[in-house]
Amino acid sequence: MHDRLDISMKANHLIGAVMAVAVLAAAGAFAATGNSFWIRLATEALILGGLALSVDILLGYTGLLSLGQALYFGVGAYVSTLILRDTPSFWLAMGGAVLASLLAGVIGGLIANRVRGVYFALITFGLAQVMANIVYNTRALGASDGLIGVPVLEIDLGLTTVDAGNPLQFFLLTLVVIVLLYAAIGYLLSTPFGRVIQALKANEKRVGYLGYSVWAPRMVAYVIAALVAGIAGALYPMLRGFVSPELMFFAASGNAVVMVIVGGAGTLVGALFGAMLITFLKSFIGSLTEHHHIFIGLIFMASILFLPRGIIGSVKPPVERALRRREARAEAAAAKGALR
Amino acid sequence: MDYMQFVLAPQMLNGLALGISVILVALGLTIIFGLLDVINMSHGEFYAVGAFGALALGALGFNYWVLIALVPLFLVPVGVLVERLLIRRVYDGPDRHVSTLLLTFGLGLIIEDLLKILFGPNTQRPANPLPGATEFLGIVIPTYRLFLIGIGIAVIVAVALVVYRTRLGAMVRAAAFDRQMAASLGVRVGWVYSGAFAFGIALAGLAGVLLAPLYSVFPTMGRDFILLAFTVVIVGGMGSIWGAVVAGVLLTQVQAVSALFISPVWADPLVFGVMVLVLMFRPQGIFGRIGHA
Amino acid sequence: MKLFTTTAFAALIAGAAMAQDGPIRIGVLTPLSGTYAGIGQQVRWGVELAAAEINANGGIAGRQVQLIFEDEEANPAVAVQKAEKLFSVDNVDFLTGTVNSGSTLAVGQVAERFDRLASTTVSFADSITTAQCSPNMFRVNARAGQQSAALVAWLAAERPEARVYYLGPDYEMGRSTVAAFRAAAEKAGASSVGETFAPLDSMDYSQYFGAIRAARPDVLYTSVAGNDTVRFFTQLEEFGLRQNFTILGASGTVTAQNIDAIGAAADGFLTGVGYSVQIDTPENKAFVEAFRKANSADPDLYGADSYGLLFAYKAAVEKAGETGTDAVRTALRDLEWQTPQGVKVIRGGDHQAVQPMYVVEIAGGAFDIRSTVAGEDAIGPDLCERF
Repeated sequence: MHDRLDISMKANHLIGAVMAVAVLAAAGAFAATGNSFWIRLATEALILGGLALSVDILLGYTGLLSLGQALYFGVGAYVSTLILRDTPSFWLAMGGAVLASLLAGVIGGLIANRVRGVYFALITFGLAQVMANIVYNTRALGASDGLIGVPVLEIDLGLTTVDAGNPLQFFLLTLVVIVLLYAAIGYLLSTPFGRVIQALKANEKRVGYLGYSVWAPRMVAYVIAALVAGIAGALYPMLRGFVSPELMFFAASGNAVVMVIVGGAGTLVGALFGAMLITFLKSFIGSLTEHHHIFIGLIFMASILFLPRGIIGSVKPPVERALRRREARAEAAAAKGALR
Repeated sequence: MDYMQFVLAPQMLNGLALGISVILVALGLTIIFGLLDVINMSHGEFYAVGAFGALALGALGFNYWVLIALVPLFLVPVGVLVERLLIRRVYDGPDRHVSTLLLTFGLGLIIEDLLKILFGPNTQRPANPLPGATEFLGIVIPTYRLFLIGIGIAVIVAVALVVYRTRLGAMVRAAAFDRQMAASLGVRVGWVYSGAFAFGIALAGLAGVLLAPLYSVFPTMGRDFILLAFTVVIVGGMGSIWGAVVAGVLLTQVQAVSALFISPVWADPLVFGVMVLVLMFRPQGIFGRIGHA
Repeated sequence: MKLFTTTAFAALIAGAAMAQDGPIRIGVLTPLSGTYAGIGQQVRWGVELAAAEINANGGIAGRQVQLIFEDEEANPAVAVQKAEKLFSVDNVDFLTGTVNSGSTLAVGQVAERFDRLASTTVSFADSITTAQCSPNMFRVNARAGQQSAALVAWLAAERPEARVYYLGPDYEMGRSTVAAFRAAAEKAGASSVGETFAPLDSMDYSQYFGAIRAARPDVLYTSVAGNDTVRFFTQLEEFGLRQNFTILGASGTVTAQNIDAIGAAADGFLTGVGYSVQIDTPENKAFVEAFRKANSADPDLYGADSYGLLFAYKAAVEKAGETGTDAVRTALRDLEWQTPQGVKVIRGGDHQAVQPMYVVEIAGGAFDIRSTVAGEDAIGPDLCERF
């Protein structure tokens, strides 16, 4: 069966698998040379990749540009911090972050989903801005200073325990969480309901004409995106030991959009790849010159102008063709077998 | 009576000066959106370029009054170049709103950093060309603010006349409403688009020159006005000049008067709340769009 | 500009083997881009001058000093990441430069986890050396409490029973500085006639002028900073209010970063600060001359405090005879050293520098000293309970 969306998702998985192997190999090499900084930077990149995934669900699959996705990342990070400072339990922090970002996502979705297109972009921008300002002014949340003092966790996973202070162990845990998120999103998008979500991007009017509710799939996509951002956010204080309102500012949301565009919107793995690329680039360029905004801006603009599908988006078509050929061969072989 | 004279009336007049400032910034934004269907995220940075332009040329000895005309003129070719080299390349892509928004966002990052390289990180300020205050019905108001209110109204009226009352404006509006039709009627749509973008950028620059003595000049100043300007544009109706004017005055008056009663920190959420309500219940804004009025 | 020097790269490859006889590496993690870039520039100039002087005179215990700069973008999330890089990749012995208190607190925690030492030369939030003090974080600049102590002493002497109006930036720091000053001023006999908090990055302060005018204060205290000061002061002048009262403020209110933009409206502003170019000592004269020569600009408090820090570190390492964390920490505690600002002492109990405080008044762009408060009188109690 030559299902375009199916092939596309399979190509994502294939590229994702290659990336995961490459990242694991790189992490192994860093661990062997004993340089923890790069492993921890890769962990941060993965966590930011979760935020980028959340942007891609909306931008790449639902056709909605959110300029305020860091809001939900921040909600997850703050809730996780508040819980961990009190009770150092990984599961409690994750649970709290899930609930809080779910709630925030529903409220935000009710507001933002009344509008489309650029209005959606601007309203999400404003929503995040106002929330960030409120956090910035709330003493109980550490106000402008943020909150420090998140303990280094011992995470009980049943079969084994993970020490968040051990760079490689926490990296692997983060990788597992992000891969699970990726798989869940991939699965959801391939269900019939997920197809309706994707149809919104192609032509929202027609979805309505076909008798589907337009509002419900948009809302579900928005809340799931909020959830993904919140879960990623919950991991942040476990890595860095603190939160600050800057995590919710526009710079953070804009950064996630840059990651998705450079990596390739509508590919999921592109978001993760973009997050890795931009995080490491920023670290390198930031050490070379204080004028790193120019470089990031240039890379970003060049990517929109010359690589509008992003890096992964440009690698994908040959992979898809190869998959299609293989499927065709398999079908032909099956047909032959059936004939005999 | 004292309350009226010393508190409420000055508050409202200052609110009006701020409102005019915001409208000046929002005007170019709404024109670029109304005519080109482009969200210019680098608008604030062009506002900063205008202010730095005034500062740099002022240091070379140019008279401030000359700069009000000169700086926007300098920005016209810049605007044409940006439209031709950047906006146009993605204009006909699948998602114009998103790609032009992101492109101008990237441009804004670069401009801000370039300004820092050229002028350094510190705050600067051109001298106030009209120092002193004027008393008006017992209300003291700085002369420059009176001038700003006056010239702001003149600029707004002039822009509205050009867009709504001249043949050029008619061509531009036609191009915005139906590109193919306008093209087949002999309108050179390509130049209309470049011209409209350059006009919007020049207006941002003009706002920069006019507001520099009041609000000072620094590389990140572009972020100052932009949220409020976007709010004004949305509430007024994207692309509507009169909408921007009404919304600009309304929102800044809400802000100014509310500051008397509630903590000013809530002014931002309040203004944003108005934007959310307008978007929820009247997403096209108070007025419609330019080409569609 | 090259921040990541080739020597640092070589050091990375050679690894820890070099650590004992190679250069002493000091990480300078400061905002080089963004809103606080102006402050970062002073920090940079200060430490660069100090390092050049130390190196020209034989280094620290015979080892040269090498500075490694990173841009923290005034964002704690970036600061923490870069701090880890400086500690683990560049293997710095000591870290300084953070400006906003959020970054300083977060970096203090990183320093604890890496078992290294750090010091701020700029952040003035009291919490850094009180409630949220860290055994690995020092502060060689004056905190908010020291600044207002000096200012209140001046107020009590020069303007007894003043009617004071307070205007602060509406965020945690702004509110706590105003609250602290207000409490101290009222104790000294001043009466408070009003209080307003304006959002950060306010465009227009004129909306508060009605209330200020109505309260008829003779002293106005403010803790706004940066661009906000420029707008606040010039708008006061625009409205003809600037001369109606004396303005006192935080040390960060008027600095080298914004004084040119404020212009004449800054004249007559008084603040309690740990530094002024006008300090009349041979040490300061030499420092100011060298600083001007190197950077064609005057040092401000940030430049001076950052300059002084390297000499504290030098003294501590030479006293300890090594760069190990525990030894240097012990040596830094109760360390007394000479700076352009006078003799400073690091209080062992909370890692806060005790230093003479100056009340300075701005006149024609210069910071004229009006009175001096001895370090012990301005420091306040040790409230750090962690060590």
